Formats: sequence, C-alpha cells, structure tokens
Amino acid sequence: MSSNPLQDGLRLEPTPGPTTLVIFGASGDLTRRKLLPALYKLSRGQRLPARFSVIGVSRDAMGDDGFRTLFRESLREFADVKGVPGEDAVAKSLAERMHYVSGDFNDPALFERVSAALQGINSEGGALFYLAIPPGAYANVIERLGAAGLSKAASPEQWRRVIVEKPFGTDLDTARELNQIVHRHFDEAQVFRIDHYLGKETVQNLLVFRFANGMFEPIWNRRYIDHVQITAAETVGVEQRARYYEGAGALRDMVQNHLMQLLSLVAMEPPIAFTADGVRDRKMDALLSIQPLVDESSGTTQVVRAQYAAGWVAGAEVPGYREEPGVSPASTTETFVALRMQLDSWRWAGVPFYLRTGKRLPKRTTEIAIQLRRPPLEIFKRVSPTSVAPNLLIINVQPDEGISVRFEAKLPGTRMQLAPVMMNFRYGTAFGGSVPEAYETLLLDAMLGDPTLFARHDFVEASWSLITPVHDAWSTEQAAAIPTYEAGEWAPAEADALMARDGRRWRTL
Amino acid sequence: MSEQPGEPLLPTGVEVSFADIEAALSGHLSDETKRAAGMALTATIVVAGPSPRLKEAAKALSELTDVGVRTVLISYGDNPDPAVRVSRQTVSLEGLPPQYLNNAVAALRLSSLPTLVWWRGGNVDTLKGLAALSDRLVLDAEDPREVWASVESLAELTAVSDLRWTRLTRWRALMCHFFDIAEVCAAASGFRQLRIEGADLDAARLFAGWLASALKWGEGVRPDLREKPDASPVDLVVLGDGTQELTLRLDGNHTCVESAARVHGLAAASRIVSLGDQGLAALLGEELRIRSRDLAFERAVAASKGFV
Repeated sequence: MSSNPLQDGLRLEPTPGPTTLVIFGASGDLTRRKLLPALYKLSRGQRLPARFSVIGVSRDAMGDDGFRTLFRESLREFADVKGVPGEDAVAKSLAERMHYVSGDFNDPALFERVSAALQGINSEGGALFYLAIPPGAYANVIERLGAAGLSKAASPEQWRRVIVEKPFGTDLDTARELNQIVHRHFDEAQVFRIDHYLGKETVQNLLVFRFANGMFEPIWNRRYIDHVQITAAETVGVEQRARYYEGAGALRDMVQNHLMQLLSLVAMEPPIAFTADGVRDRKMDALLSIQPLVDESSGTTQVVRAQYAAGWVAGAEVPGYREEPGVSPASTTETFVALRMQLDSWRWAGVPFYLRTGKRLPKRTTEIAIQLRRPPLEIFKRVSPTSVAPNLLIINVQPDEGISVRFEAKLPGTRMQLAPVMMNFRYGTAFGGSVPEAYETLLLDAMLGDPTLFARHDFVEASWSLITPVHDAWSTEQAAAIPTYEAGEWAPAEADALMARDGRRWRTL
Repeated sequence: MSEQPGEPLLPTGVEVSFADIEAALSGHLSDETKRAAGMALTATIVVAGPSPRLKEAAKALSELTDVGVRTVLISYGDNPDPAVRVSRQTVSLEGLPPQYLNNAVAALRLSSLPTLVWWRGGNVDTLKGLAALSDRLVLDAEDPREVWASVESLAELTAVSDLRWTRLTRWRALMCHFFDIAEVCAAASGFRQLRIEGADLDAARLFAGWLASALKWGEGVRPDLREKPDASPVDLVVLGDGTQELTLRLDGNHTCVESAARVHGLAAASRIVSLGDQGLAALLGEELRIRSRDLAFERAVAASKGFV
C-alpha cells in the first residue's frame, strides 16, 4: 500500500512526487517539438505532481518570460490537441511554473545557477535532468552536474535522475567511456537512456501480446517460426541532419538502438515478473545470444550497406545522398543497411532474423514480420491451383499501429481454391481515444523512477559490441564499393541476395 | 474513344499531394463508418431505467467512441412483449416488466466478454438478479440513498460503483496529490474540518465518506456540506484545521480546478488543472476500463451513511 493514505483505490495512475525537470537544450528542436508538448499533455491528463516545475537551460538569453513564450509557441505548433493549446488555463498554469537559466555548458558558474534555481523552486523534491543537447556535450554536462553536487540525492524524496538521448556513444569504446563518466556521478538506477521506440504503444503491446496470452508463446520458437523480418523504412532523406548523419549512418542511427530493441523484445525469454530488471535481464540474454556479424577468419559480414541515388519519392524528384547539402561527394556513409542475424539459443537456433532500415524508401513503415513454417504436408496441392502461402504474424509499429495475421482460407465456390486473407487488429480503430506520444510515457516513467522502457548500460554496450566490428570492416572500403539504390525503390540487389542465399526474400511492403 | 480534355481521371475525387494519399484514403471513411467497421467489441453495456433517463443514456452511449461495445437499452414498463429495435450494435427494449430484466440481459449479452450494467434507477429489489449477470454494476440513481444501503450485499455478487463516484475521480486525485507533499501529509493528520459545496449533496457526502474512511477519522467529525442548486455537482472542497487548509475550487468555466495548499512551512502551492471530460460518455468509458472490485467506493459509501 502507498504511504499516501489517499492513494489506495485511486483510479488514476500514480503521479510522481514533487519534481523539477531541468532541460539542458531548452531552446532546441527536441524540446520544442516533443518535450514541451508532452509536458502539456501530461498536465492536461493530471499526470504531473502538485509541485512540478521546469527549469530550461541553454545558451540563448531569453529569461523566464522568453521560455514561457517558447512553451506557448511550441504548443501551438506541435501539440496535437483540440482548441487553442497555449492559451488555456492548464497551459497558463504550467507556464507559470517554467523558469529559465542561460549560460555556457562549459562554464561551472552555470551549474551553480542551476543548483540555486533548484533550491529556490523546489528544494525538497526530486530533480530530473534531461540532456536534450548534442551527443558531444553529454560528457561535459554530466561531469559538471557531478562537480556541482547535483547528481547526489540528499534524501529519497530529493532524488536526482538523468535522461540521456540517443545516440549513446558512437562505438563500443565511446559508449563504455560515456558509461564510465555517467557512473562516476550517477548510479545506474539514476540513469534513463531514452529510446523513443520503447515508448510506442505497439512496442509495449509486444510484451502483452507475447506474455499475457497463452496461445502465441507455444509457437514462438524454432519449431514453428521460419524466420523474422524487422523493417524500419523512411521516405525522408537526410534533411537538415547531414552533419550528424555523415558521422553516423543507418547502422548507428537506427540498428544499434531501435532495431536492437525491437529484436530483443521479439526474441527474449519470458521474464519472471513485469519488473524493470526482470524485463531488461531477459532482453539482455537475447542480445548476448546474437552471433558476431563479422566472420573473424574471413572478415566477411552478414551486413549489406547502400546509399540512395537520385530518384522519385512521395511524388517528387529527390537528389541522391551525395548531392545533399552538407554531404561529401565521396561520402561512404550508408543510408540503407540490411543484416542477417543468428541467435544461438534453444529457442531460436536456426531461425534467422533479418533486419533492414533505410532512408528514401517508398514507404514510411516500421514492422516486425514473423513468418511461420509451412504445414508439414500440402494436402491441397492437387485440388487447389494456388500454392499455400506461409502464415505470417505482422506487428505494425508505425504508422498504422496494430497486429495482423495472414492465414489461408477457402475462396467461396464449388472449387477447393485457397487464398491468403488478413485478420487485422488496428489500434487506431479497435479503440478510440488518443494514443499517448512516446515522450509522454517516457517522461512520466522517468519521473516515477521506472526504468523498464529505458536502455540499460550493458544493453547499450552489448549492442555496440555487435555493431562496431562491422564499422571496422567497412572502414577500409572505398566510396565506389558501396552499392546504391534509386530513391523510392525498396533495396539494392545486394540486400535481396542476402536473403536469397537462404532461399528467402524480403517482404514487399 | 474520344478523350475529354480537362476532365480528370477520377471526377469525384479530391486533389491531394502524393504524400497525403494514405491519409486522404483513410479520411474518406467517416468516424461512424470506421467505428462500425473496425472497432473491437470489448463489452456489453446494459442500461436499465425509467424511460426518460434512457434517452439521455442512449445519447451518451452514442458518444462513447473510446471502445467498441454492444449496447442494450431497457426501459421499464408492463409489456411482456416489448417493442424491440436494433441498430448496428445497439438493441432497445421499451416497456419491459422489471422482473424480466435478467432474462433479457442473459439472452442479449455478448458471451465471453464482460457485461457492465448501468442502472439508472428503479426498484432496488430487481437489482440482485441483474448484479448476478454482470461483471460490473454502475449505479446512477437520481436519489441514491436507497440503493447505497444495498451496496454491501450487491458487492458480494459483482463489482459495484456509482457514476457520482466516477465523477469524483479527478477531485479525489487532486486531493491525493496534496498528500504526496511531505509537509502536507504531516499537517493533514490533524485536519478534521471539511467543507464541500455543490449542487449534489449526495456526491458531497460520498467525497466526505471517502476522506473519512481513507484518513480514518472515526466518530465525531461533522463535515459542512452545503447545497448550491445552480452550481456543478461539486464546486468547492476545503479541508483544514482552521489555520491551514487545502482547497479545490472549480473555475468559472467549470472545466478546470484550482488547487491550493496553505500549510505551515510550505511555500504557497497552487496550480490549475483540467477537470477532464465529465460527460456521461467519458465517465462510462472510465468505468469500462476498470475490472476489479472498488473497495474504496464501498468504504466511502459505508462511511458516508453518517453524514446526512
């Protein structure tokens, strides 16, 4: 039972205790697009504590009023709610609890001012530091938080936590180094490494689908599953992120975090209980069972990379990657990557997991497709002119969140003719109401101290330990060696060949 | 075949950008069509009550867009062969003798899914048969005193709640949030003065009963419950000890509540929060999300009996 005597039997979910959210990078894109609208929606839903405040920190000189104006503008632009967000009583009340501290992240005096602001605003409550800043600044800000004494809790109520955005490092060494810096000042329980995919309803539903139903888990193994395909396709190009993307590429930007998280949720064993470490331990086991992607003896990889060339996407002609502003004409950065992964475990031995992600593909879609084995005997082969398609279970992560099952049915008529049909469950239509944005869920969880939907340090490092050798192998290749695909097409022939070697092919989405 | 210059390929279509095709295609379906076509049925809602109160309920159910449900509307009468109408997932029976309520519900409820009975008043004696067939009984009588006297026995048959209680959820949450503040929690152990104003004295009684049972007040506390006929069901809640107080006050638009704490050693703490949707459909939607027995409600009802 809660220590709050009125909490017992309360239907609304628990709210955090008194909290101050300190956003480093308060004038940045992430804050305006995601964080401030998420706070507003949480406030509308009565999910924020009675004593809640925000301290925005950034280099820009704007003051409390300027930050409050930025808050209202961000609601008008990015909060997808009815009415005029930013002007209602809830927004006004929340704006009054927003404060601003400006300064240079390299200046220790800035952190003294943040500390003083925290003392003045909510000295008895917890503080959540959100690093909405470029990854290169993480280490510096964490060190300075520690030096200013802001990482240590004076009491359980005065907890201190930090949210770190992805990318967490650029390879295994930098991730380890960053983890060491973080752990010098914060315990692991204080650290929340965000991966917004984990805040998506369908991704959370994957746990419910697998472990709250008795009918799927018995077939969730090598005896019944032929292979798994995970796709994260984008129609957009590199947009304004060329500077970041040139140093990252699809493998770092998407696979190391988002796709590894999806894979681990599909492949994990059932946890004993739905607890943070219960879930994260089993995800970690799944990750550790993945075999190296680079063959040590031959140096060959199970990974195909490619770059988009000029083409036609979403009704418009688009330039190739190397013609994008800010991109080197000799760039070797991959905008598409396809991987074949093998998990050595009792459950998955012999079941390949194929992952692909890319920019400038024909559709924006993220899905997990689980293809089941064909029936052992095709008894309809003689009477039906069509061959039997294997059963498919498709988990749509975005944009049309839901689950579909493909199975064979008899077409009406006197002939025994078979056809595949889809049984669809769609969040958008099965339930009404609005689905919370991932950042609402994750911000609230961090305030409540629940790390279930955040990446643990060992997961991040294990993921990098798979990815880094691939980058090392690629580092010797010349730009000309990278295959290209026409923008608006699905994949280069090399990606098809990766699956064709196993007698399989990518789903056409 | 001659070509008509200027005539688009799809004359009845609307012009959109390539990137908006998918959105436009799904936008062509009206909300009602999408709902009928795709919503997953999750429960049966049976509404039973006198005819005038059923019309209001039918309208509220038509606004219930969060979940897919089968709806059975039954008004009381004396016709053993009542008029039956069906529309999509809604069935109405007008003028059914109350003693046959449970027979009708037994025949019309969806198998394998929960049944929620929304009871809008009537003879309390018929409730037991209905309660035995339901997974949740949501009371909503104009005068709840008689049925609240039966809550204890009804709760042995099914989970029982009341729409007045549902309406108080956000008020309760706001009061609860005060107690997350250490200074308030320490001071409030001595708070025994409670004033509630609003149009619904029964709701005020229930709120007082909740505080009395949750804070274990025992005998002797007499809440000051004041009826304000033209106000919202609850308009103002003040809990304190004469020098310190916690206040919840509905704003002029009846959409937000200002919560303020005046407690020694605590800097003035106030905020304005949304009261959320208090319409019947939203309240019923909240009840549909709960499956377990509501012991806090049962205790609140029991404690409220002394606050007349």
